Amino acid sequence: MEKRNVKNYDVVVIGAGNGGLTAAIRVLQGGYSCLLLEKHNLPGGFATSFKRGRFEFEASLHELNDFGSPKEPGDIRTLFRELGVEDKIDWIRIPEAYHLITTDKKYDCEMPFGVDAFINKMEQYVPGSRKSMTEFFELCNEVRDAQTYSNSVNGNTDSNYMKSHFPNFIKAGSYSVNEVLDALKMPKEAQDILNAYWCYLGVDCDRMSFLHYGSMVIRYITRDAWMPKMRSHEISMAMETRIRELGGDIWYHSEAEKILTDEKNTITGVRLADGTIIPTRHVIANCSPHLVFGKMLEQKSVTEQMIRATNARTFAGRGFSLFLGLNKSAEELGIKSHNYFIYDTADTVKQYDLMRKVETNHVQATVCLNNAFPECSPAGTCMMYFTTMFMSDDWGNVSETEYFKAKDRVAEDMIRVFERETGCRIRDAIEEIAVASPTTYARYCGHPQGVIYGYETAGWDSLMPRMMMMKEDAGLFPGLRFAGGYAMRSSGYSSAYVSGDLSGRQTVGDLKKEVR
Amino acid sequence: MNFKKQIFGFMDMLRFKKLVPNRREALASGSDAPLPQEYRTNELAKKLHPGNMKVELVDIRSLTPDMKEFTFKRIDSRAFPFFRAGQYVSLQGKIGNSYVSRPYSIVSSPREALENKLVLAVEDAGFFSGYLNREAKVGERFIMTEPAGEFHYETLRDQKKIVCIAGGSGITPFLSMAKSMEEGDESYEMILFYGARDEAHLAYKKELDALAEKGLKVIYVLSDEERQGYEHGFVTAELLEKYVDISAVTFFLCGPAAMYAFVQKQLSSYGLPVKAIRKDATCCKNLEMENPRTFTLTVRIRDKVYTIDALENETLLAAMERSGIPAPNKCRAGGCGYCHSKWLSGEYRIAENRDGRREADRKFGCIHPCVTYPMSDMEIDVPPAE
Repeated sequence: MEKRNVKNYDVVVIGAGNGGLTAAIRVLQGGYSCLLLEKHNLPGGFATSFKRGRFEFEASLHELNDFGSPKEPGDIRTLFRELGVEDKIDWIRIPEAYHLITTDKKYDCEMPFGVDAFINKMEQYVPGSRKSMTEFFELCNEVRDAQTYSNSVNGNTDSNYMKSHFPNFIKAGSYSVNEVLDALKMPKEAQDILNAYWCYLGVDCDRMSFLHYGSMVIRYITRDAWMPKMRSHEISMAMETRIRELGGDIWYHSEAEKILTDEKNTITGVRLADGTIIPTRHVIANCSPHLVFGKMLEQKSVTEQMIRATNARTFAGRGFSLFLGLNKSAEELGIKSHNYFIYDTADTVKQYDLMRKVETNHVQATVCLNNAFPECSPAGTCMMYFTTMFMSDDWGNVSETEYFKAKDRVAEDMIRVFERETGCRIRDAIEEIAVASPTTYARYCGHPQGVIYGYETAGWDSLMPRMMMMKEDAGLFPGLRFAGGYAMRSSGYSSAYVSGDLSGRQTVGDLKKEVR
Repeated sequence: MNFKKQIFGFMDMLRFKKLVPNRREALASGSDAPLPQEYRTNELAKKLHPGNMKVELVDIRSLTPDMKEFTFKRIDSRAFPFFRAGQYVSLQGKIGNSYVSRPYSIVSSPREALENKLVLAVEDAGFFSGYLNREAKVGERFIMTEPAGEFHYETLRDQKKIVCIAGGSGITPFLSMAKSMEEGDESYEMILFYGARDEAHLAYKKELDALAEKGLKVIYVLSDEERQGYEHGFVTAELLEKYVDISAVTFFLCGPAAMYAFVQKQLSSYGLPVKAIRKDATCCKNLEMENPRTFTLTVRIRDKVYTIDALENETLLAAMERSGIPAPNKCRAGGCGYCHSKWLSGEYRIAENRDGRREADRKFGCIHPCVTYPMSDMEIDVPPAE
């Protein structure tokens, strides 16, 4: 039975993930009414926390990129400031960049924040790397400046200005990470160590665009990474509080089922699973185009162009995380670093290939939160979380009756690899354990196959052309924009916030044009 | 610097110019096959976590003078989800104008769930359980939440040998755990201490004796009756030591709060780590209080607003249910977070040792109504029940 809701909204945001929350605030700040719909009973999507015994686990955030200090804010702190949420959150600074371990070449490198410190440390590990490393950061700086310029003109860049001010950005812009590092004549070992962050973007360095990687690395190294004290749930709660302050409405347990259209293919509303209809003409979808064009948008409005454009894209990694509450301190266990990247091989192409299968994947990005924030768990304990990704739908082969055992197998492998590579014995200290498999991610966020990284930013679908085609992509269906991991900026916390910022402000622009 | 990949810089620039046309072309040449409607991983998620299930009572039988067994089948699907033995479901219904709901440990095994059979055993002890014991009839329909809860074996955390201690109706999850072990889905060795008043109050004795032939070790402990083949008294450290090496096992406790306190005290001198003793959650009840005050509770659910009475000694959840407002809930113990709601105004208190909220929930004003009592007029924003 369909019940008509009396109130209509200028904008309905579907999904209260990082992108959706940000977009809703932007719409409200623009002076328009907004309803945020969320199928779960919490805001945040992946940005949340959960409790087991004496521990409150971080669900997904390793560190917030491009945040910076209050005095030298990065783009994301500046965005949080503009959104009015920066001061609602207690922040801690992440102490070091990363600890890289690879099984094949026995790398065991601890890399610091700060360009000079990073280059010096690299020179220690790889004598003779200084020149190429210095050029790498120069190039990255130009990339960042070019992006700042591009953002300042809303992507409508002047090509002559670009050519004269950012020539290296353009010349390096079409190449992969490895192609650029080779051109800089960077020693292979330095490339291996520098590429450690690749799993944060989930594409091997033969196919990952240099611009994408370079712009991420420079932001990590120069602006530090930060994190909220009360796990990412604090950010999500701060944003949801801000939405309420601005007069926005949030409905939980309210799954959007259909985006309704009229005979002119204009959006008329959103229908919930229970039949409730919310009239609106603008939707920001914090979910995948695969779901929106495959299921949610009324069939009569789905065009061949939408189907082709969606089918053309490749799902990025499916997530798997293990969470451990340990009954000894990090110090007692010998866990020294905050952030470990442990790979079978330093060869990213080979490694990506091994990650296709559940059985052959032993990659982990592992965090011991106490090494950034000692008070995150009771004295004498510590918390760890281990994350990996599967680069195919292999997890889809797991049957219902094998499910619990399959989770245990992967979790056990993560513990085994961590113990082997670091020499820290953690297994006997496990007091609480939780596992999130692709099935869990599919359940909570509805993403196809349990994908946590949106669409792969590889080759033709890399970040730069996505950004340059932002307007064109949004033209696929006027009135509908995307935010979150599947949107133009691809996945990751900072990217999702930025996509919400862009789509939120652009929707405000759409509404203003309508009035005119 | 002057970056160069090819011999002439303009060739690099030309490549950059092609980024957009390349992507445009790739998007246009994607397949025109219909987009997938289902994904295997998402289908599995739906099977394991169907949310609320519609169930029908298909069998009732007496277990002890004050405990009955209830067998359910799903009527919205052909099977219950596979679960982890030890977990619970919440059974929900409407009696008169009030919603009622209680969590019960599952007695049947995960394998039986796949045959569309789920068994609960309920002691005649409260409003809903009294209704079930005395009035419920075969054919009656209820809502049941999906299996959930962390009271189950964890292969990577727990010792291979587990000692389960049941007090009275607390036997229920251990039936499932013993059967699941026997069916090969769990890898532990299980020793069960089952305490009851007398032999007549032992539920499932026949079933347990049968399981004992296949590897389960059971020790019956009667407090009010001396009988050959049974231990007499309570589950003391001395009794435990007769059968197990206390420091080499993981304990699973299910029973009344008094039993938890007793066993905990018995084990206190062994210096066991926190992880060695797992306790099943217990339902949060009304406060014992003479002449509780009545407050006004304003409940917002989406765009609807309800104004109801709330007693000082009842949880906000109980107040809503009593007034016929279907609020989401599962564990009724403060821990699962399913009733997570936004506090808007008013004073409240939380049942002792039951504040299962996240830190940021406390900071930004969220509550779990299942363990929260009003201390003034209050206003809350609650998600609709599924």
